Amino acid sequence: MIRLRNLSRVYGQGPSATAALRDICLEIPEGAFATVVGTSGSGKTTLLNILGGLDSGYLGEAQVAGRELRALTDRERSAYRNETVGFVFQHFALLEHLTALQNVALPAFFANAREPAPERRAAEVLARVGLGERLHSYPGQLSGGQKQRVAIARALYRRPRLILADEPTGNLDTATGAQIISLFEELNREDQITVVVVTHEDFLFKNVTCKVRLEDGRQVEGAPC
Amino acid sequence: MLTSHLVRLVGQNLRRNRKNLAFASVGIVVGISSFVFFIALGAGVQRVVSTQIFPMEANRLQVVPRSIEFGSATGGRPIDEQALSDFAAIPGVAAVYPRMRLAFLASTAVDGRDLSPAAVDLLRRVPGVTARMLEAVRDVRVWLEIMGDGIDPRLAAADAVAGEFADPPEGEPIPVLLSRRMIEIYNGSFAEARGLPKVSEMLLPFLPPLPLTLNHSFISREVRGAPAPARMKVVGLSRHALMGGITMPLETARRLNRRFAGEAAAHTYSSAVLEVTSSDWLGPVQERLRGLGFDLDMSEKRMAESVGMFITLVTLGFSLISLIIVGIAAVSIAHTFFMILYERKREIGLLRALGASKGDVRNLILAEASAIGLTAGTAGLLLGALACLLSDTLLARFLPDFPFKPESFFAFPVWIFPGALAFALIFCWLGALLPARRAAALDPAATLTGR
Repeated sequence: MIRLRNLSRVYGQGPSATAALRDICLEIPEGAFATVVGTSGSGKTTLLNILGGLDSGYLGEAQVAGRELRALTDRERSAYRNETVGFVFQHFALLEHLTALQNVALPAFFANAREPAPERRAAEVLARVGLGERLHSYPGQLSGGQKQRVAIARALYRRPRLILADEPTGNLDTATGAQIISLFEELNREDQITVVVVTHEDFLFKNVTCKVRLEDGRQVEGAPC
Repeated sequence: MLTSHLVRLVGQNLRRNRKNLAFASVGIVVGISSFVFFIALGAGVQRVVSTQIFPMEANRLQVVPRSIEFGSATGGRPIDEQALSDFAAIPGVAAVYPRMRLAFLASTAVDGRDLSPAAVDLLRRVPGVTARMLEAVRDVRVWLEIMGDGIDPRLAAADAVAGEFADPPEGEPIPVLLSRRMIEIYNGSFAEARGLPKVSEMLLPFLPPLPLTLNHSFISREVRGAPAPARMKVVGLSRHALMGGITMPLETARRLNRRFAGEAAAHTYSSAVLEVTSSDWLGPVQERLRGLGFDLDMSEKRMAESVGMFITLVTLGFSLISLIIVGIAAVSIAHTFFMILYERKREIGLLRALGASKGDVRNLILAEASAIGLTAGTAGLLLGALACLLSDTLLARFLPDFPFKPESFFAFPVWIFPGALAFALIFCWLGALLPARRAAALDPAATLTGR
C-alpha cells in the first residue's frame, strides 16, 4: 500500500535549511494498522502530510496505492486525497456553521462524479461511528469524542483505502481516546482499511501491525515491514 | 468541482459572511445605481435633442443651391425642374421633395378684439384654456412680417390634423403648417409669460383662420402692386415647417409666386429633400449631388452632432465618476476577501485535504465574488431606476415649463441592464482576483498544522 524509499524533507534553503525527515525507508502493506511515534518535532506530521498528498516537496520516493505522489498533477493529487485517503486531525477540523451531516458530506463537493444520495451516505457513516442520533447537531453541541467520531465519519465518507490520523486522541480524555482507538481498530479489521496513526501514546493500540519511531527526522524503529 | 456543488458551497459561505460582504458591496450598489442614473439621464436628454430639437432622419438629405460666392466658379446651378429630374435619376434616390420659398413679401396683423364671439366660445371649449387665458387672447395685438415657403404635401401630410394640407380653391383659407420647434419655444416662454393658451394639436381645430396680407410689408418699400388680403388656417405642427414662418402646400406657393413674382419664381426651388433607399446610399448620393453643382445643408446635422457630443461627454464624465466609485468598491471587496481569507485559512487547508484542487479554491472565491457582483449589481440597477423615477416625478412637479421640457428626462438603452451587471461582475472579479490567487496558492499542509 505504502512504499517509501530514501524519503527526505527539507524546509528552507542554504544555511537556514532544516531537515524534517531524513532517508526514511518504509513499506506498509494493504490492510495494515501502522503507528508513527516520536517526540514533538520528530517529523511525524510531515510524514503524514507527504503520505496524504498535502506536501510534495520531498526528495526520494513516496508511493501510495502504486502511484508516485510527486508525479501527480495538482488535480490528480486532489482526486487522490478525495478518493483514496481519509484524514483525521487532532483538532477535529469541523466547520462550526455546518451540521454533523453537512460536515461529513463535505468531501462529496470535490468528487468528480455526483454522489447519488450524499446525505443518505453521510447518515450511514455517522450511524457506523455511533452518531446516528446526532445527524443535525452542530459541532458546538457535541463532546470532544463525538466531534472526533464526526471527523472519522467524514474520513470514511468516500470509502477510502487509507486513513491517516494525526494524534486523533490528543484532545480527548483517556476513556474517550480508547473508544476512538477501538473504532480505528474496528474499521481496520472489518473494512480492511489501512490505518496510519501518528501518536504519542502507542501503548494504547493493541493490534498494531507496523510501528515506526522517528527521532529528529530519522527512522529509529520500524525497518521496512 | 461540479457546478451544482460550487453553487451550494457558495451559498453556505455567503450566508456565513453576509454582514461583511453586504457592507463591502455597498460601494458596488452606489456606483452601479449612479452609473444607471447618469447613463439614463444622458440618453434621455439625447433623445429630446434628436427627436424634438434637432430631429434627424438617417435616410434623408437636404440639397441647396451652391452658395453664390463660389457658384459660378464651381459650376453651381439653381434648383429648377431639370435639377429635380437629375436628382430623381441618381441611383439610390427613392423620392425627391422640392421646397419653394415665397418670392414676395407678406404680413399679418392679429387683433384679439376682432375675434368673433363664436370663435371665443369655441376656444373656451378647449381643455386647459382658462377664462384668464381668453382675456389675454383678447388683449393680443400682433403685427408680423411673414416669411413662408411651400413643401411637397407628401412630406408632411401626416402632420395636418386640423384640415387638409393641399392647395385650396381661390378665396378659401390657405392651409399652413407651423414649426414644432418654434411652437415649443412659444409655449415654453412667450405663452407662459403672457398667460396665453399653449398651442397644441388639440387647440388647432378650434383656432379661427387668421388674416394674411400678400404682397405687403410693414418695413420694406420694394413692394410693387396692390396688397392682396387672404386668410390662413393653421392645420398642423410639423418639423418640416419653416422655423419662424409659415409653410404651405407646394402648389399654393407656386401659384402665389407666379402671381406676385413671375413665372420664373414659380419654377425655382429653394431646396429639395432627397430620400435614399438605404443609408448605405448616403455617401454616393452626396458625392453625385456635389458633382451636379449642388450643396448639402448640414447645419442642423452639425448642430445636432455638436450638442450630442457635448451631452455624451458630460454623461461620460459622470459615468466615469460612477465607475471610480465601483472601482473603490472593488478595493473594499478585495480587502474583505483578504480578511475572510485570513479567517478561513485553516478551512481552506481542510478543503484541500478533502479533495479541493487549487482551481476549486480559486473558483470558489471567484464564484462568491460573482454572486456578490450579481446581487449588488441588481440592487444597484433597481436603486438607479428608482432614483430616475423619483427624479422624474420631482422634476415634473417642481420644475417650471420650458421649451422642449420632456415628459421624462430619462431613457434606458437596452444595453444598460446587461452592461451595469457586467460592470458589477467585472469589478467584483477584479477585487476578488488577488485573494482568490492567494487562497489557491495556500500550502494546505502549512495551514492545517498552523505553520
